[in-house]
Amino acid sequence: MISGTPLRVSRRALAWLLVGITLGSLAPACADAEPPFGLEQLMIELGRVPHAKARFVERKYIKLLKRPLELSGTLEYRAPGYLERRTLKPKPESFVVDGDVLTLENARGQRRTFALQDNLALWAFVESIRSTLKGDLAALDRFYRVTLEGDERDWRLGLTPKQPRMSAVVSLIQIGGSAGKIGTIEIRETQGDRSVMTISEDGS
Amino acid sequence: MTLRGRAPVYLWVLFLGACAVVASQARFTTDLSAFLPRSPTPSQRILVDQLREGVVSQLVLIGVDGAPQSQLSQISDALAERLARDPLFAYASNGAQARVEADGQFLLRNRYLLSPGVVPERFTVAGLRAALQEDLDWLASPMGSLASRLLPADPTGEFLRLLDLFQFEGGPQKRDGVWFSGDGTRALLIAQTRAKGFDIDAQELALGRLRALFAEVAKEQGAPAARMVATGPGVFAIATRAAIKQDVSRISLLAVLLVSCLLLIVYRSARVLFLTLLPVVTGATAGVAAVSLAFGSVHGITLGFGATLLGEGVDYAIYLFTNAASGRSSDRALSRLWRTLRLGVLTSVCGFGVMLLSDFSGLAQLGLFSIAGLIVAFAVTRLVLPHLSPAGYRAQPLATLGPSLLRLVQAAPKLRYPLLVLVVLGAALLAVRGNSVWNDRLGSLSPVPEADQQWYERLQKDLGAPDARYLVVASHATQQGALETAEQVGAVLERLQQAGSLAGFESPARILPSDRTQRQRQQALPETPVLQRSLSAAARGLPFRVELFQPFLRDVTSAKGAPTLTRTDLAATGLKVRLDSLLAERRDGWIAMLSLRDVRDASAVAAALAALHVDSVHLFDLGREVDELYRGYRGQALTFALIGAGAIAMVLLISLRSLRRTWAVMVPLVAALVVLGAVLTLRGGQLGMFHLVGMLLVVGVGSNYALFFENQSAAGGFFEQRPLDGVDPQTTVVSLALCNASTAIGFGLLALARAPVLSAIGVTVALGAFLSLAFSAVLARQGGR
Repeated sequence: MISGTPLRVSRRALAWLLVGITLGSLAPACADAEPPFGLEQLMIELGRVPHAKARFVERKYIKLLKRPLELSGTLEYRAPGYLERRTLKPKPESFVVDGDVLTLENARGQRRTFALQDNLALWAFVESIRSTLKGDLAALDRFYRVTLEGDERDWRLGLTPKQPRMSAVVSLIQIGGSAGKIGTIEIRETQGDRSVMTISEDGS
Repeated sequence: MTLRGRAPVYLWVLFLGACAVVASQARFTTDLSAFLPRSPTPSQRILVDQLREGVVSQLVLIGVDGAPQSQLSQISDALAERLARDPLFAYASNGAQARVEADGQFLLRNRYLLSPGVVPERFTVAGLRAALQEDLDWLASPMGSLASRLLPADPTGEFLRLLDLFQFEGGPQKRDGVWFSGDGTRALLIAQTRAKGFDIDAQELALGRLRALFAEVAKEQGAPAARMVATGPGVFAIATRAAIKQDVSRISLLAVLLVSCLLLIVYRSARVLFLTLLPVVTGATAGVAAVSLAFGSVHGITLGFGATLLGEGVDYAIYLFTNAASGRSSDRALSRLWRTLRLGVLTSVCGFGVMLLSDFSGLAQLGLFSIAGLIVAFAVTRLVLPHLSPAGYRAQPLATLGPSLLRLVQAAPKLRYPLLVLVVLGAALLAVRGNSVWNDRLGSLSPVPEADQQWYERLQKDLGAPDARYLVVASHATQQGALETAEQVGAVLERLQQAGSLAGFESPARILPSDRTQRQRQQALPETPVLQRSLSAAARGLPFRVELFQPFLRDVTSAKGAPTLTRTDLAATGLKVRLDSLLAERRDGWIAMLSLRDVRDASAVAAALAALHVDSVHLFDLGREVDELYRGYRGQALTFALIGAGAIAMVLLISLRSLRRTWAVMVPLVAALVVLGAVLTLRGGQLGMFHLVGMLLVVGVGSNYALFFENQSAAGGFFEQRPLDGVDPQTTVVSLALCNASTAIGFGLLALARAPVLSAIGVTVALGAFLSLAFSAVLARQGGR
């Protein structure tokens, strides 16, 4: 019956509110540094990279656990809208965004797809990384208060969620890097959990 | 004239007055269920009850467009909020998080009473350890953040299990957090009225409130161009009533006007016009009074049959005046006329009489209305009109009309062979299409215009409502009994689901488990100290901080001592609407309905349910049930049409006392019906119940024409310019043409009605009457030759 629908949405919403928080990011393959250094300059440099592949190691510090969980895998970005995070350890899992569609697949091969349009919080989260890689300051501004610290060789981009549903979960996303490369992504959640992802260039 | 001679007039005035009083007190309905069976089978009754009183009958689907997306979503939010607060509405949602979260909160709060995962084994050391290991994987997954928030209170994952259980395929897309149509141009909402679907006055009130709220919201949001479409069974009922009211009054008025104009042109006499309409008006009033007395209410569609009376009732007076007008009429001619007319009335009454026996009160009403109306119209023509027109009164038709019509009639028999070819072609077409000529959808009966039905289906699709075709119904004297039976059925269905016979199902017992099941779950939960020890033992060697699971211990403890859930605990959630659509109180107890999704093996489901050996459990194929209902309906109408036709033939045979003459009357009618059927089904059209009713009318009206032709032929034909008993063949032809034209006008206008019921009858009779007249002319025996 028709009234069956609200719950389905609720599940989606609840799950997706928080899902992507573990998403990693990527290191653009090359960059040319040019002064003066500022947000616009950083965005231009980041936006020059059309395609990048990298490895990641993520540590999740969860209150409920005595020691952090460690995950590793690969990341891939293709301009303008494709983003893939493939976890290899401890269990294979994938998280792929292509345009407006997010596809999740777990170790048992179960697959779920979602439209980003359906959930602003989730969309905001995806854009924190995708728009950074794309160098799209306008898109970042739509969802976050954006701050920049440090200099060209060691910068830290701070993203504070504007959207209430997201700010209820995430207090800050901090992306660090050097020149046009992203090296770390740290996500701090409101109830104390956090995750730190370290990105290294793919050897292959 | 003496007082005694005027007695019929006084009696008539009294009668008309009495009928008018009764008719003015009549209650008018437009409820479709008048056209549903009076003594249905148990399964049909469930269906009819669902149509009349089910939650679905209270739903209003709302679409808002005509503004930018961001504005639409704000309008949607504001409208949903106001509807939810309004006392006329039980529930409203636009999919927004806050509203949905109320449902989520309910599930979360009551997870230990609702989740089927709550069994004793789940809370042993081994069960808890397995759960914690799954939890670790979950924390590492992309859903980790959700896990980390939920696990302290729910390490066994009952909440997620519930969400999975209530998950459905399809569902509206969301933009800006609220439901939108697939193309993003229309914001969608759903509301449930407090009033039942069949309470049209209350539905109208609720719809008015909805429109007012929307206007208010649109104004506040500064979107004057925004439009709202509301649809649903209640809205249909309102629109139907309005459309029928409007159509019936407008069409009756137009028909009276056009027929009046025609009569004025032909007779150029206001007096003839007035006298001609008298029998019709009296007949219609008497018909309404009779139906009101017999049925307690009068259906709007029955009123639409005023056109029948206009079509046939006007004829009587026309025959009278044109025959009297010839100026050469004799008593013999008049008595011959009355005989023919009486026979005509008798044949029509036979046609309608069988409808009185119908199981469907709507059909029976039509029959009674027509019979009462025709008999009264004839009686007024026979007994009253002669007193109101001066002796030897003459109505003079247009002089030029007679000769040219007569020439047409004389030429008509040349078309015999083309006609034969036409009839054979028609019969062949009908034979080729076979059973596919019948439209067996119940929707075709609905007076709701097709365009509105399509809108409804579109909005329903936008909202992702799955079509519930298979339904298992469990009935019991008590609510708890119905829920317990639903649980029993649910267990069977779960096995079938695992075997792949169906994709899933929805059960009221999932939303509200029976008291027995709830208590079993409470017993499955361990005492707090036991649970604490088991949890510590289970977490040994795993990296969890066990002390953070305090919320889990607290919630289990409170669930164990909580009172069991009842329907009232669900109030103000979307789940309540859902429960009410699945669990309902009926006259003789409660019924629980389990709707099945994607049934792949219906016979396996039927067999498994039969193996339960519970008499009160039935599996319905709603699609088939509805069609069956309608097929039965149509089958009955067909039977009646055939019995009616047989009765008419008998009446003719007895009156004419000649097989040959009866044959001569029937042949043009049969030919007309064959060609009519073929024309109606041309271009893929289908015949429904109301076409059949229309055909019965064609036989009634057409037999009059055929009788007149037969009469004239028997007495010398149209070629001898010899008057028959002093009645000029020209006069007969003019009166026939006039009667035919008035019938065509009455029913032709009915064809313009928005209600498919009325338009189907209109088209059928207008066309059929014309064909009957034409074919009677073509097939007339050339007297004397």
